[in-house]
Amino acid sequence: MQRRNFVKLGGAAAALQFLPSIGFSQQGEVFRIGSLTPITGAGSPYGPGMQQAIRLAVDEVNAAGGAGGRKLELFTEDDQTKPDAAVLAAKKLIEVNKVQAVLGTWASGVTLAVMPLTDAAGIIQMNVSGAPAISTLDTKDLVWRFQATNDRFGAAFAEICTKRGFKRPATMAFNNASGLGNVEGFTRVWEKRGGKVAAHVTYEPNRPSYRSELQKILATKPDVIVMGSYLPDTTIILREWFQSGADTKWIIPGWAANPDLVKALGAEVCEGIISVDTVSNEKSASYAQFDAAFTKATGKAASTNIYAAMAYDMVISLALAMEAAGPKATVEQVNAKMRDVSNAPGTAVFTFAEGKAQLAKKAKVNYEGASSKLDFDKAGDVTPDFGVFIIEKGQLVRRDVVSITL
Amino acid sequence: MTWIDFVNLLINGLIEGLVVALPALAMTLVMGVNRFPNAATGDMMTTGAYAAVAVQLLGGWPLWAAALGSMVVTALVSAGSYTLIFRKLAGRPMVSSMLAAIGLGFLLRSLIGFFAGHDQRTFDLPLVRAWNFGGIRILPTDLAIAAVAAACLLVVFVLIYRTSFGRQLRAVADSADLARASGIRANGLMLSLWLLVGALSSLGGVLLGMKAVVSPEMGWESLIPAFAAMVLGGIGSPVGAVLGALLLCVAQELAVPLMGPSYKLVLSFVVLALVLLVRPAGIMGRVQLVR
Repeated sequence: MQRRNFVKLGGAAAALQFLPSIGFSQQGEVFRIGSLTPITGAGSPYGPGMQQAIRLAVDEVNAAGGAGGRKLELFTEDDQTKPDAAVLAAKKLIEVNKVQAVLGTWASGVTLAVMPLTDAAGIIQMNVSGAPAISTLDTKDLVWRFQATNDRFGAAFAEICTKRGFKRPATMAFNNASGLGNVEGFTRVWEKRGGKVAAHVTYEPNRPSYRSELQKILATKPDVIVMGSYLPDTTIILREWFQSGADTKWIIPGWAANPDLVKALGAEVCEGIISVDTVSNEKSASYAQFDAAFTKATGKAASTNIYAAMAYDMVISLALAMEAAGPKATVEQVNAKMRDVSNAPGTAVFTFAEGKAQLAKKAKVNYEGASSKLDFDKAGDVTPDFGVFIIEKGQLVRRDVVSITL
Repeated sequence: MTWIDFVNLLINGLIEGLVVALPALAMTLVMGVNRFPNAATGDMMTTGAYAAVAVQLLGGWPLWAAALGSMVVTALVSAGSYTLIFRKLAGRPMVSSMLAAIGLGFLLRSLIGFFAGHDQRTFDLPLVRAWNFGGIRILPTDLAIAAVAAACLLVVFVLIYRTSFGRQLRAVADSADLARASGIRANGLMLSLWLLVGALSSLGGVLLGMKAVVSPEMGWESLIPAFAAMVLGGIGSPVGAVLGALLLCVAQELAVPLMGPSYKLVLSFVVLALVLLVRPAGIMGRVQLVR
């Protein structure tokens, strides 16, 4: 092919790409949603289920006749759990597909990389990331977080320490925003209640050994060590702790203290470790309904992937905000309704159809989500409940659920 | 801090140093003879660790046998990489070989990630409690690691300083042209060197995997400490590489009471900078004007 022809064809192809979107915007009857979940990479155990949940919710909204007079249209991309790949995918969603919301980013690094793009485009961003920085960088209030912040994880650790009667906690944290966020949240709440923290140790990643760090912390004789860590470093630390023969207790976030940890270390080492993770809003009608739909679609219970319920709630709360904002509302007007439809006061609703019916009667609604009660604070963050899991004979057994107030 | 705590830190540093010494020695051998920093050394460690995991999973062998098997596999990979890549680049500037090594590292890491996944793995190894001598704690596993590393270093030194293979290697390292003129055949010699380097790196990977966890990035991440140890010891000096590794690791462990664990790496690089300021050629290196 000659170069001139190639350029012409390429130009024509590029022009064609924009045609459908022009058509849609003129009709004004579709709201375009981009699903940006980790299908590959470290988040791959969760991303596909999240994407499925988003699809289920979109179908549910469309089956109820759409929101604010518009049907939802879904575009899906893989963020690969990598900020660079996520930025490329987000650009494609925003510039080519002209989406009005990007839903489902999982890793904090990915969300932080995508936020400037969605902010600049003036569209809504919804994520399940933990980094506290996301709240402070969200200057336009377009970012909504459906998972607890690391800070809230820390507050839950403090609540659990009080409940279980620990007196001398010490903290160990991986030197990044997530690890430090956990232990700083813990320290703040623990000290506000008059407690003292025996020692803080912050460690660098990728060490072959953490014996000197352990030696430093165990020298202060803590009765429990509160962690802000990941799986590989937790594996090394616990192995060396067990070998050294000390007998402290451990409180570890759920992403580090999981079945993989037990597989790597064996049941004896892990016995009695307290693993903390958020739990879905399991007693709600919305969860029951989502669980049934998710199980039917994937063959797995919703409890196998806590992020799926959060992804589902993203679409439902967004659709309710669209319904409340009315037909032809701009993204900004929809965004402004997010708290109105999710937070108290208002009639509690558990499905999109219920909420739509209530809104038609001009009533104020309060969507109780499948993932949490879904009340957004000033920063657009929610506060889910936390499950307390104890590792017993190699199994994670849930012993308690705690709620925190901030 | 009491003296007991210091002794414990010293022991940690020595054991870490022995583990770092193996890849540092592998790098310095290649640097001395082939004259380029082999950036694939770290990924050769990873290859070795994964080969050992695979042998354990498939054959159910005990770890020592799996480690021997992985040394054979990695030695072959290493010699293969020399034959296919580095021999062809021998006459070119150092940068081309170094870039090729970085590329080889990427290739190995991606292959491992593709076939074995990115989840961490561990060796099938019983956990034993530490021996406690009045507060000085020694892990039996660490002792085994130190013993294996030290034995391996001894074997390599005997090879280099007491055999004709070593004499020929040193001759080539001193002057390749002179060595050729005196009838040393380079090809077989180079293949043996790369087999040795592969086996060394592999053992380093297995020992690191015993202490930490096995993951596709493990070797790449330990490349910088090994490189620093090589530079500190004097580039191309085998004894220097081992001394450099020990010195760096002990220094960073002893820095813990002073500056805390988050910055101990910094201190090891301060030591590196200071030694190089005083002795630019490194501890055991010779100052060379023009090569």
